[in-house]
Amino acid sequence: MARLRLKNVNKRWGSFVGVDNFDLDIADQEFLVLLGPSGCGKSTTMRMIAGLEDVTEGEILFDDTVVNDMDPKDRDISMVFQSYGLYPNLSVYENIRFPLRVRKIPKEKHDEMVMEAVRMTELEDYIHRRPAELSGGQRQRVALGRAIVRRPNIFLMDEPLSNLDAKLRVSTRAQIKNLQSKLKITTVYVTHDQIEAMTLADRVVVMNAGKIQQVGTPTDIYDNPANVFVASFIGSPAMNLVQGTLENGVFEAEGIRVEGLPLAVSGNVTLGFRAEDAEIVEGPAQISSPVYSIELLGEASMITWRLAGSLVSIKTHKEYRADIGAVVNAAVPASICHLFDTASGERIAHG
Amino acid sequence: MSNPAETKPLPIKVITISVVLIWLFLAAFPFLWTMWGSFKVEGDFFSRANWFNAITGPVTERQHGSPFTLAGYEGAWIEQEFWKAVINTAIVTVFVVIISLTLGTLGGYALARSGFKYTFWLLMAALVFRAMPHVTLVSGYLLPFFQLNIWGYLPTTIIVLVAINQPFTLWMLHSFFLSIPKDLDEAAMVDGCTRFQAFRLAIIPVMWPGVITTGLFSFLLAYNDFTVTSMLLSQENQTMIPQINAFLGSTQEEGKVMYAVAAVVSAIIPLFVLILFFQRQIVSGLTAGAVKG
Ligand SMILES: Nc1ncnc2c1ncn2[C@@H]1O[C@H](COP(=O)(O)OP(=O)(O)O)[C@@H](O)[C@H]1O
Ligand SMILES: [Mg+2]
Repeated sequence: MARLRLKNVNKRWGSFVGVDNFDLDIADQEFLVLLGPSGCGKSTTMRMIAGLEDVTEGEILFDDTVVNDMDPKDRDISMVFQSYGLYPNLSVYENIRFPLRVRKIPKEKHDEMVMEAVRMTELEDYIHRRPAELSGGQRQRVALGRAIVRRPNIFLMDEPLSNLDAKLRVSTRAQIKNLQSKLKITTVYVTHDQIEAMTLADRVVVMNAGKIQQVGTPTDIYDNPANVFVASFIGSPAMNLVQGTLENGVFEAEGIRVEGLPLAVSGNVTLGFRAEDAEIVEGPAQISSPVYSIELLGEASMITWRLAGSLVSIKTHKEYRADIGAVVNAAVPASICHLFDTASGERIAHG
Repeated sequence: MSNPAETKPLPIKVITISVVLIWLFLAAFPFLWTMWGSFKVEGDFFSRANWFNAITGPVTERQHGSPFTLAGYEGAWIEQEFWKAVINTAIVTVFVVIISLTLGTLGGYALARSGFKYTFWLLMAALVFRAMPHVTLVSGYLLPFFQLNIWGYLPTTIIVLVAINQPFTLWMLHSFFLSIPKDLDEAAMVDGCTRFQAFRLAIIPVMWPGVITTGLFSFLLAYNDFTVTSMLLSQENQTMIPQINAFLGSTQEEGKVMYAVAAVVSAIIPLFVLILFFQRQIVSGLTAGAVKG
């Protein structure tokens, strides 16, 4: 059980910045998810925590111990790799036992510990097979079993579900969540899939280009994105963003006019709102513009406009029909709007 | 399940099988001929009267009372003490293989995992030295070896052979290590291994086919070497191949050529045993895909 702190951690290769000033406090037993697009430095951050990558600058602390110069084996962590990293020459049983063997845990305890991990990962029927004789999902569970067999201080998981098919991903995701809450071990989990992040995390760290964009609970991040990047990365569909001008509390851009916004700000702003918050209406409304496209999603229909160069979508009931090119109106009250500074991309205020 | 070979049209099948048979005959014939002939006397094996004598052996029968004789083997092994050369060869090959593989696995692993830019140039330089004719390297060694008074001894030869062989071993093992995902070492280190333990417990077990294949190539280099051993070893430390060459060189004495023939056959046997013994590992080593997890 451990608290994990990263103090202004930097990783550079020559002049290339992989991770820029990463500063974060992770509470004991917390499930923390690092979320961001591919190449944003998530794995690098995790590998620095594991000790597989040197820290260029800054400090990493487990409880009150600085671990910068500690070997991975002395950090009392366990890690699940994207490609599993199973030992191909060992059976499932021996794969899971490996950490116990190299850490010289008394032999008589091994069987009990391995079998417990096997039970938790539901691998009872496969213990004598080699990794090559298992499916992707089973291999993933072996990797998970190997990580939990020895109750470490910290769990690290680097995109553990990305090689699984969609259905298996959902069930394994639930299993990971369940295991973590039973074992109560501080967990850092890396993913580029926002749904994974939202469903698993106590707190999410959104990263982009090596920098932390926002830290918060999934609800926090969804409801109050800190900048345009987070707004456009979180949610499916992502938040609608329209660039325009704000004057005397009135936002204006081609095809959209929203009144009642804060009076304190003015100038070039980006207005954001979520597809599910807005509503199609008859009669005059904030959006009034020709339809760009209409998509049937099954449970709903999605109407899209093109406003000031950006595509803006709203979900409506599944029977709704409109012709492409016909003018359709939608209500976007100030209360559902988010305002961002167009130049910096930072959040200004909640409407 | 239909085997692709069975579905081919007949003419193609006939051609394929004939080509294989012809090739097999061409490859195996000299060996079988020599093996058969090694139990004859010179008068039969190098018969001027009739080449068929090499098969039936009338002169052998006249001299020894049977168409087969162990005279060649007796002369080579006992009279000429060929067993000494065998022991010397064994010492040279065993040490060359062990030293090459030890340095090669450690160095190949380090190069494969370092990711530094100089790795490529280091390997290129190594390959250039491997490509040079051995004799150009050895003639350079001669004078300093005489002066240091280390010429003629087995350890000197072993070191030179290792030096010649190492670039190749390093190169080959390096590419085997590259085919093993880095996740494997990293998983082992997180599981509680030091770097060296990760190498020993996680990587080497997966690497066996590669190590054995590379080891076999090193073995063959040391075993078959003529240039280095003949120039660097004194008479009493001679290995098999230069020794066989010496037998062949002394044609004026009747029967000595048969010593060479018998010695050649003796020298081939260990190779067969070795390849039979390790064939599975060698095949999977050569088709490197088997190394992956
Ligand atoms: N050893 C390395 N040398 C140079 N650049 C690297 C190295 N490892 C990773 N990078 C770069 O650092 C960035 C972050 O990588 P990574 O942390 O793996 O991203 P991700 O968020 O997809 O896990 C990438 O642009 C990658 O190219
Ligand atoms: Mg990654």
